Amino acid sequence: MWLPALFLVVGIALGLLTNITIPDQYSNYLSIAVLAAFDTLFGGIRAHLEKKFDEKVFISGFFFNVSLAALLAFLGVQLGIDLYLAAVFAFGVRLFQNIAIIRRQMIEEKFILKKIQKFKRK
Amino acid sequence: MKISNKIIISLVCALAGLMIAVLFQSNQEPDERDTRDLWEIRSELQVEQKAQQQLYQQISETESVLNQYREVSEHQQLDTLKESIVELKEEAGLTELTGSGVRITITPIFQGGNDNIQEYPTISPELLNRLLNELNTYGATDVAIENERIINVTPIRYVNGKTYVNNHALPSIPIEISILSDNPKRLLNHIEVSQSRDDFAIDDLELSAEIKNNITLPSYDEPIILDELDVNEQVETGED
Repeated sequence: MWLPALFLVVGIALGLLTNITIPDQYSNYLSIAVLAAFDTLFGGIRAHLEKKFDEKVFISGFFFNVSLAALLAFLGVQLGIDLYLAAVFAFGVRLFQNIAIIRRQMIEEKFILKKIQKFKRK
Repeated sequence: MKISNKIIISLVCALAGLMIAVLFQSNQEPDERDTRDLWEIRSELQVEQKAQQQLYQQISETESVLNQYREVSEHQQLDTLKESIVELKEEAGLTELTGSGVRITITPIFQGGNDNIQEYPTISPELLNRLLNELNTYGATDVAIENERIINVTPIRYVNGKTYVNNHALPSIPIEISILSDNPKRLLNHIEVSQSRDDFAIDDLELSAEIKNNITLPSYDEPIILDELDVNEQVETGED
């Protein structure tokens, strides 16, 4: 589990060190893309805990979600509707759901481990 | 977990991290740079110094009044108080003032040799406002339009086809404007070349000014109502 964390730090460091900035009007797209990336990441962790992780689904989901969110934001700007809010809402709800499920899985795992240990001691 | 899965997740993590970093940097406000040059800084310093000097002066004036109160007997204290009241009234324009200054007479211009009948010119509040602004910048200390003393809160308005000053209608022209000034000659010179002359000429009005050594301005005789006034703390554009 340390490799993804390390890569996350490497990515952040790379971004900070290269000093890349994007114009103000595009920061909307990037923020929604970040949200999509988070959603996919947590979805992946959840799938991993549920033992049904599929790399194809994960990769395609990542890129598809990011581009769909950006497209939605673009469409919203063109139409004068804040459509990116829809994406923010959807991703936000899913983020919370995924995190909740991850939390439950982890608690359950610990609980079961403790029970097994108790059982063994008896 | 398979090693390939790990690598994929790591790469996605790195990508997400990169995006976060870029977003973070883009949202960071660039720190404002001080682009003033030496001259601007110097002039700003001068303005501040002037303000400081003025404040010091005010402090010393107030302190001297305070000392006057402390040192003298009760009877004299009353005198000082009365003096202050007189001073303040003078400043507010509640007393008659006599001094040297300039008298402007506004007269109509009639263009002869024309078949069309010319309307008798009237003076509009905007013209008067502009003229007053100009007079104030040229160093007028006290102004009266006809018999209406101009104070800080004097309204000049257009009501029912007439121009009102201090809630009294101005008579039809010719109108006299009396101005007190510390330097009447300079004020006269300024008036002779002022923009207001042209503005008045557009409305068929002529300004003629002359120096008078003994002008008496009437006092402002209505109550000054300041209930509706508030301090405006909003910084206006270009002031900051």
